[in-house]
Amino acid sequence: MAKVSMTVNGKVVTADVDPRTLLVQFIRENLHLTGTHVGCDTSQCGACTVHVDGVAVKSCTTLAVTVDGANVTTIEGLAHGDHLHPMQEAFRENHGLQCGFCTPGMIMSAVDIVNRKGSNLDEATIRAELEGNICRCTGYHNIVKAIGDGAKAMAGHAQAAE
Amino acid sequence: MSAPTDISDFSIGKPVRRSEDAALIQGRGRYSDDIAVDGQAFGAVVRSRYAHGRLRSVNIEAAKGMPGVLAIYTAADLAAYVAPRSPFALKSIDGSPMLGATTATFAKDKVRFVGDPIALVVAESEILAREAAEAVEANIEPLPAVTDARAAAAPGAPQIYDDIPGNLPLHTHFGDIDKVTDAFSRAAHVARLRLVSNRVVVAAMEPRAALFEYDPASERFTAHIQSQGVFGMRNNLAAAMGVPPEKMRVLTGQVGGSFGMKGVVFPEYMALLHAARDLKRPVKWSEQRTESFVSDHQGRDHDIDAELALAADGTFLALRMSGYGNIGAYVTPFGAMIAALNIHRNAQSVYRTPLIEMHMRCMLTNTPPIGAYRGAGRPEGNYIMERMVEEAARISGIDPIDLRRRNHIRPEQIPFATGIGTIYDSGDFTGLLDEAIEAADWNGYAQRKAESVARGKLRGRGIGQYLEITAPPTNELGKIDFDEDGGVTITTGTLDFGQGHATTFAQVLVDKLGIPFDRIRVVQGDSDRVTIGGGTGGSKSIMASGAAIVEAGDKVIEAGKLAASHLLEAAVSDIVFSRGVFSVAGTDRQIGVLELARRLRVATGLPTDCPVTLNAVHVHKASPSAYPNGCHIAEVEVDPDTGTVAVVRYTMTNDFGTVVNPMIVAGQAHGGVMQGVGQALMERVVFDRDGQILTGSFTDYALPRASEAPPFVIRNRPTIATTNPLGAKGCGEAGCAGALPAVMNALVDALKPCGVTHVNMPATPEVVWRLANGKQARAMD
Repeated sequence: MAKVSMTVNGKVVTADVDPRTLLVQFIRENLHLTGTHVGCDTSQCGACTVHVDGVAVKSCTTLAVTVDGANVTTIEGLAHGDHLHPMQEAFRENHGLQCGFCTPGMIMSAVDIVNRKGSNLDEATIRAELEGNICRCTGYHNIVKAIGDGAKAMAGHAQAAE
Repeated sequence: MSAPTDISDFSIGKPVRRSEDAALIQGRGRYSDDIAVDGQAFGAVVRSRYAHGRLRSVNIEAAKGMPGVLAIYTAADLAAYVAPRSPFALKSIDGSPMLGATTATFAKDKVRFVGDPIALVVAESEILAREAAEAVEANIEPLPAVTDARAAAAPGAPQIYDDIPGNLPLHTHFGDIDKVTDAFSRAAHVARLRLVSNRVVVAAMEPRAALFEYDPASERFTAHIQSQGVFGMRNNLAAAMGVPPEKMRVLTGQVGGSFGMKGVVFPEYMALLHAARDLKRPVKWSEQRTESFVSDHQGRDHDIDAELALAADGTFLALRMSGYGNIGAYVTPFGAMIAALNIHRNAQSVYRTPLIEMHMRCMLTNTPPIGAYRGAGRPEGNYIMERMVEEAARISGIDPIDLRRRNHIRPEQIPFATGIGTIYDSGDFTGLLDEAIEAADWNGYAQRKAESVARGKLRGRGIGQYLEITAPPTNELGKIDFDEDGGVTITTGTLDFGQGHATTFAQVLVDKLGIPFDRIRVVQGDSDRVTIGGGTGGSKSIMASGAAIVEAGDKVIEAGKLAASHLLEAAVSDIVFSRGVFSVAGTDRQIGVLELARRLRVATGLPTDCPVTLNAVHVHKASPSAYPNGCHIAEVEVDPDTGTVAVVRYTMTNDFGTVVNPMIVAGQAHGGVMQGVGQALMERVVFDRDGQILTGSFTDYALPRASEAPPFVIRNRPTIATTNPLGAKGCGEAGCAGALPAVMNALVDALKPCGVTHVNMPATPEVVWRLANGKQARAMD
C-alpha cells in the first residue's frame, strides 16, 4: 500500500491505496465523487478529465500516487456553491449535452482551453482543441457553441472580479 | 430559479432549457457504475481469445484459489437460463422459422467470436476479479473463422453451428418476382450498384455496467441496469432467469447513450443475476472499453446489390435488392429483423416506386452479434434509395433534382398507400426538397466550388432526401399524479438516454394542463412504478409517451370538471378548462388545477359522485408508425494529396411533424447526422483473417471528433402527423438516414472529375486518395 495525500475540491484527503490505483479510481471509489467518468481507459475519450494544479489531466491514465501533494479539481468542485461556473452555465444554455456522460470531461477540458488559449476562441480553435474529448450524442455543434460562449462569460466574470 | 415566468414560455414549440442538465453539468448524474451498495462483490468476465473454436475445457482451479475470489461460474452453472428470443416471428422463404433460437448464455462446447463469454469470476474487488479472470484457462482448439457475410455463404465456409446449414439461419424474400421482372423488362434505364453498409461499433460513451442484488427473504432480484425501458427489461430479465416478472425489479438511472444497444439482455446479465442469488451478495460489473469493443452488439454490416428500373421519362418502375446481412455469431432480438424487414421497407422513402423486391440472406459469422444501432435499417434503406436515385440520374442524363421531383409522392396523393404496406398520412416531399435547396444556397455553389478548386481541392455536393418508418406501435403508460408537495409526477415507460424526455414530456403537460414547468417531474426508471410501457426505440417516444400524457391529461380535465362543479357549485356542463384553470362559464368563479388537486386531497364530506383525486392512469393504445422525413444537403471538400474529406457545409430541412422542443430536436438531428458522417467517412470494425478485431480501442477505431464535424444549418418544415394526438413524427434516428446518402452523394460528385461513379463506405483517406489519384483500390479483407 502507498500513502497518498492531495487536495481535492479544496479539501485535504489522505489515504492508503494500492499503488496501482488510478487517479480516477481514487476520486470515484475512495472519495465517492462519481461525476468524473471512465469512457475508454486509453486516454482517448476525455470523460475522466480533471484539473491537477490547474491543468487538465486524464485521470484514467494517471496513477494517484503520482499526483501526491497536488491540488485537484473535479467537476463537483467547479461551481461556487449555488453559482454555476460560467462554462457549466454555457453548456446548459446551448444544449451542449445530451446523455451527459462526456459532459464533466468536456467542461473541464473547456475551462482548460480557455486558461491556455484565452477567451476569444474561434470555432476552428475550439474544434482542434477538443481533440481529446469524444461525444457520441451531440455532433459537437452545440458543444462548440457552448465553449465559445462560456469562454466569453469567463472573461466577463474575471473582469467583474477585478 | 429566476422570477416566475409565463407558462407559455414552457409550452409546446418552445426551446425550453433542459431540466435534466443542472445535475449533469455538476457531476451529479447517477449512471450505473456510480451506484455502490454495502457488501458488493465484483464480477469479471472471461472471454474467448479465438473467433472460432472447440471449447475443450475450462480450468478454473488456479483462479479459484486466488485472493478474494468468491466464485467462478461457467456454462454448466448457467444452463437453466435462456436469452430472450427475437420478438419478430421471422420466417424463411420456405416457411420455416428462423434458426438459431438456442443462444447460449455462456459458451459451452464452442466459442464463436472473439469476446464470446466463457466464465464469470466474482471476487471481493474489481481488481481481484480481473486478476483471477486472467488465471482462468480456457482450452480452445481453434477452427477456421469467417467474418464476412458473403464468405460465410460460400461453399466450404467454416460452419459455425452444427444445426444451421450454410450459416444461414434466415433466408427471406419480399416482393412479387413476376411483376418486378416484368418491370425490369420494360425499363428504359437500369441503375445498378453494390452498396455496403459498413459494420460500426455503437460506442455509447458510457460502457455497459450493472449492479445486481437478490433478497432471499422475498426471493426477489433488484437490477440496477441500463435499459431503454424498465418494463421491457424487467420482463426479459425475469424470463431469462425463469422467475415471474414480480420477482424482478429493474432500476435505471442515467444512461450514457445507448442508440439501441443497451435495450436488450446480454449473457453477462444472466450470469451476474445467478451470482447475486447464489452468493447472496450484491454483484457489480462494469466493462472496460476494450471489452465493449468485443461484447456490445455492433451495428449495420449489410452488403446489397441494388437495381432501379426506370421508364424513359424517369419514372421509377421497381427497386430490386439482393444481399447479405451479417448478423454476427448469435441471433439477437433485433439483428436479423434489421436486414430482413427494415431495410426494404424504408427504401420506399418519399417515392412512388410501385414495386420493391428484397432477397436477403442473414448470415452467421464469427463476429460480435449485430443489434440495433441508431436507425436499425432505416438509414440503410434510405442510403440505398438515394444512391440509386443519383446513379439513375447519371445513367439516364436526367437532372437528379428533377428526377426526385418526378417520382415524389405528391401532397394531393396523401394519404398514400405504398407497395410495402405503409400508409403515409402526411408530408410534402417536393416542397421540402425545394426548401432544402434554398436553405443550402444551391445556386451559390458554383462560386464555392471555384474557390475550392483554386485552393487545389475537389468539391462536391450531395442530396440525401429520406423518410423513415418509426417503430411499430406499443402500448404506453401515461400516469399523472398530483403529489403532496404540490408537484406533479408523470410516469411513463419510454426511457431517456440523452433525449431530454423529462423536459419534453413536461412541456406536453404544461401545454395540456397549464401546470408550471418547474412543478413537473418525470419518472421512467423504476419497474415498480412503470407498470406498462414499450420503452424507447425506433424514434417513437414522443408518439407513445407524448400521446399517453395528452390522453391522461384529458382524464384529469374530465375529473377536474366534475370536481370543480361541486366546489364551485355549478353544473358540470358549465365548467370550462383553460390554461390550468377550471371556471364557471360567464362568471369569475374559478379554481386552478393544482389548487383543485390539493382541495380534493384534504376535503371531507364531498358528494359521492365527486372524484377523490385528479390523479390519472392511462394506457395509450399504440399510435401507428409515423413517417419523419427530410432533405439533407452536404458539401464536401476533398484534398487529393491526402485523400481527406471534409464536410464543409451541412444543411438539413426536416419534417418531424409537431416539434415539442426545437432545441432538443435540433440536437437529436445533429447527433444523428454525425453518426452518419462517421459511418460514411471514418468508422469501420476491421477483423483480420482469424477473426481478431483490429479496431479494438478508440486509438484504432476512428470515432468522429469535433474537428471532423461540420457546423449545421437546420430548418423545420413540419406537416402535422394525423395518426397521434400531438401530430409528432419522431426525430431520433432521422439524422443518420439523411447523412449517409447526403455525404456519399457529395463525395461521388466531388470525385466525378476523376472518373469515379461510386464509392463504398467508409470513404477513408486511403480509399479516397487512391480514387483521386487513379490508383487501384486495395483489397481490404
